[in-house]
Parts: sequence; structure tokens; C-alpha cells
Amino acid sequence: MSSLREYFHTDWSAMTLHDWLGLIITVGAFLAMVWIYSYVFNPKNKERLESQRHIPFEEENTDSEKEK
Amino acid sequence: MEETKYNFDVVRWFTIMAVVYLVVGTLVGTYIASELAWPFLNFDIAEITFGRLRPLHTNAVIFAFGGCTLFGTAFYMVQRTGNTSLWSPKMAWFTFWGWNLIIVAAVITLPLGITQSKEYAELEWPIDLAIAVVWLSWGLNFIMTIAKRKTSHIYVANWFYMGMFVMITYLHVVNSLAIPVGMWKSYSIFSGVQDAMIQWWWGHNAVGFYLTAGFLGIMYYFVPKQANRPVFSYRLSVLHFWALMFGYVWLGAHHLQYTALPDWTGSLGAAVSLAMIIPSWGGAINGMMTLSGAWDKLRTDYILRFMIMSLAFYAMSTFEGPVMSSKTVNALSHYTDWTVGHVHSGALGWVAMVSAGALYHLVERLWNTKMYSPALVNIHFWTSTIGTVVYITAMWVSGIMQGLMWRDYDEFGTLTYTFAESVAAMHPYYAMRAIGGMIFWTGGAIMLFNVIMTIRQASAQRSTAAATASA
Repeated sequence: MSSLREYFHTDWSAMTLHDWLGLIITVGAFLAMVWIYSYVFNPKNKERLESQRHIPFEEENTDSEKEK
Repeated sequence: MEETKYNFDVVRWFTIMAVVYLVVGTLVGTYIASELAWPFLNFDIAEITFGRLRPLHTNAVIFAFGGCTLFGTAFYMVQRTGNTSLWSPKMAWFTFWGWNLIIVAAVITLPLGITQSKEYAELEWPIDLAIAVVWLSWGLNFIMTIAKRKTSHIYVANWFYMGMFVMITYLHVVNSLAIPVGMWKSYSIFSGVQDAMIQWWWGHNAVGFYLTAGFLGIMYYFVPKQANRPVFSYRLSVLHFWALMFGYVWLGAHHLQYTALPDWTGSLGAAVSLAMIIPSWGGAINGMMTLSGAWDKLRTDYILRFMIMSLAFYAMSTFEGPVMSSKTVNALSHYTDWTVGHVHSGALGWVAMVSAGALYHLVERLWNTKMYSPALVNIHFWTSTIGTVVYITAMWVSGIMQGLMWRDYDEFGTLTYTFAESVAAMHPYYAMRAIGGMIFWTGGAIMLFNVIMTIRQASAQRSTAAATASA
């Protein structure tokens, strides 16, 4: 246990601006991924998301150049 | 609903040039592979030596062939999924001519030895500036076309192109920051290990966002269209996109294991590389499962075969890459031909094959006809598959043998083999690689012939129809 504590020990006072920016971006990206997973797998959103599968088949079929 | 008029002329030209550059780029690649096997092919002419032609090969296949494929498919797909015409057809033509002039500049400068010596970013600063302008013209036109779409939702394939646009813009700008000391010479503003890190931050993200995200945009539109079935899971595609966007930028450091780069940076790159297997395989499975219940289409639809085979190679190389990034495997594989084999399983197996599928699909739709010879499409499929397999198998054997020979030592701690001995041992595999490349190139040449004949056939059909109508 003490070795684990040692492994995760952080000298917060030595953190530079770049360290803080990196930390915030990393944790932010992680939280964003968690939110995306929960949004995508929420059963309430299933129908709304899956209905977009058909977009490529709803297109019109007109080519401006073909009529020249 | 008001009728939409699409702008496809520029797409047609991007399609034609993509096929031309496929043939030219792989021809140069085959020639330099042959130079490694049979060095007399250098003919003591500096401009055609491996060092000069290798960047020409990579620029031709990645930026000329890949770029024309991406721009053409993007302009086609964004109009069709948004039920709208291009925001600026004139700007699309500027992109077409600008990009092709940049390719001409590369063809002139690289054999002359004018280079920044940054891998996959060799072109000198004036051309780098031109790339930025032309790239922005494409991105602006693409995004503004999305902005004027008539559909409420932006289809996921567009997201991948937009992700590629945002990431490649800032990767290209930062990696190309240099101080010019003349019209055709500049020096990077970065130095030492920072320069190496920026180089591979660019290098691996060019793979991740240009050769992966962009071509996944192609996959998410053209596989469902060719199979005539909606993508297997839209939710999986959303996860695939965001995981790719958040994850890929971390990977570059795995190219610099056991160098002056801090050890933890390489470990982080390797750890995230391994994690990326999950979204990559999720995407590959999503593409393949689109055929769920209709696998019989693969028997008769040769264009679809290209797309599904490309996904198999995508899955394979996105597994191989993370394995090679781990420190244990990297200690053996790095600086060997295994890396070259890995790159080509992605470049030939994934990028070129999904592009060939999409380009065949485009040719049939844009010229409103069927391919001149489906049998030739099938022959192209098999030459591509066999050529790729021969190439990467040769490089696997060669690379692993190199790694084992370089690290072997006797009981006195002396290296068992000299470097020259390891080079001599590679010869059969270099010959085999050149043959694999020739087989692959033959397929590209067949495709070019088939596309030209298809376009001629379509013109003849239109002339006949017009004559009949006026009679």
C-alpha cells in the first residue's frame, strides 16, 4: 500500500503552467468520453441516433452538369 | 421540395486525377523498391536515386492520390448528404488546380534534392504556404456547404472529414514552422528532441487524421451506398468518431521509443496506442456488419469486395500498430522493414483499396453508366490483394530477420553479424517486395484503362441517345 501511495505521489507545488494545462485537458478529454459513452448508450437516444443511418438514402438525384 | 442541383464536374476531375496518381505514385514506389533489390537501377543519376525518389513516391501516393480521392469524395458526399450544391464551385476549381500545381512543384523540387528533410513534410516553405492556402480553400468550401445543407442532421461521414480538416490544418502549420534562409531552403524552428517529437506528432497524426479519419469518412458513406444498406450501427459510428478524435493525438511518441525523448512519453504513446484498438475495431466491425444478412453481394459486386477487404486490412493494421508500439516489440521492430510492411498494409490494404472501391462507385454514378469491364474490376481486386499480401509478407520476414540479426551477439558480447551481412540477407525479400509492388501497380494500371474505357463508353452512349432524340 505504501508503495502504491509512493507511486501515485505528486508534488503539486512543482506543477508548472504546462503541467496544469496538460492535466486539465487530459481529465477534460476523459470526462468528455465518459459523457459521450453515456449519451450514446442511453436507451432514450437509441431511436434518435439510429434514424440518422438512412440519410445517404434520402438524397435527391439531380446533377446540374447532366442537364447541360 | 425545391430541386437540388449538384456540382459534380470538379468531382469528375478529382476522380480521374486520383486514378492517374495511383498509377504514377505506385510506379515510382515500385521503381525505388527495385533499386533496393537491384542497385544498378540508380544508374549513377542523382535525381533518380532512392533518397530523391522516395519522398516523391510518398508525396505522390499520400497527397496526390490520397488528396484527390479525399477532395473528390468529400465534395460528392457533402452535397448528397446535405441535399445541397457546393457553396462555391469556383473555389472548388481553385482547390483542384492549386492542389495539382503543388503536385507539379513536388515532382520538380524533390528529385532536385530541394527538401526540408521532414518525413511526409519534405516540401520547402513556399510550397508549404501554398498547401495551407489550398487546404483551407477546400475546408472552407466543405464547411460552408454543410452550413447551407437542407437536412437537419449532419451525417457522420461529414464529421470525419471535418475532424481531418481541423487536425491537419494545425498539424501542418505547426510542423512546417521554419525560418527561410533562401527561396528554396529553410530550417525548422524546432531542434533536437523537440524537433523529433513535433515530426512524429505530425507524422503519426498524418496517418491518424488524413489516412484514417478522412478515409473512414469515405467508408461511412460509400460502403452503405454500394451495399444499398444503412450502416450497421449509427451509435457505434458516433463513438468511433469521438474516440478517434480524442485518442489519436497521443500516439506520435511511440515512434521515438528508446531515444532522447523522456521514457514516460513513449510509454504513454504505447498505452494509448493499445487503447485505440477498441475504437478502430469497433469501426471496422461497423463497416463489415453493414453487410449483415447480405453477404452474398460479395460474390457478384466486385466494387464492394474492395471496400470489405480494405476493412479487413484496416482491422489488421490497427492491431499490428499498437503491438509494434509496445516497448518489448518495438525493441525488435524499430528501424527494420517490419515498419515498412506495417505502413504498406495500411496504405495499400486499407487506403488504396477503400479508395478504389469509392472511385469505382463514383465513376458509375458520375458518368451514369456501368463499368466497361466488371471482369477487369475483379482482376484489379485480386492483383491488389495478392500484391499487398506479397509485399507485407516479404517485409515481415525481412524486418524480423533484420531485428534478430542486429541484436544477436556471442558469448563474448560481440555482435554476431555485421550490418553489411544483414543487408545481404535482405536481398531475396527486397526482390519479393518489388514483385509485390509490381503486382499491385498492374492492378492500378488496369483500373486506369477500365476507367478511361468506361468514360468513353458513357460519352458514346450519350451521343447515341442525343442522335436518337434529334432524329
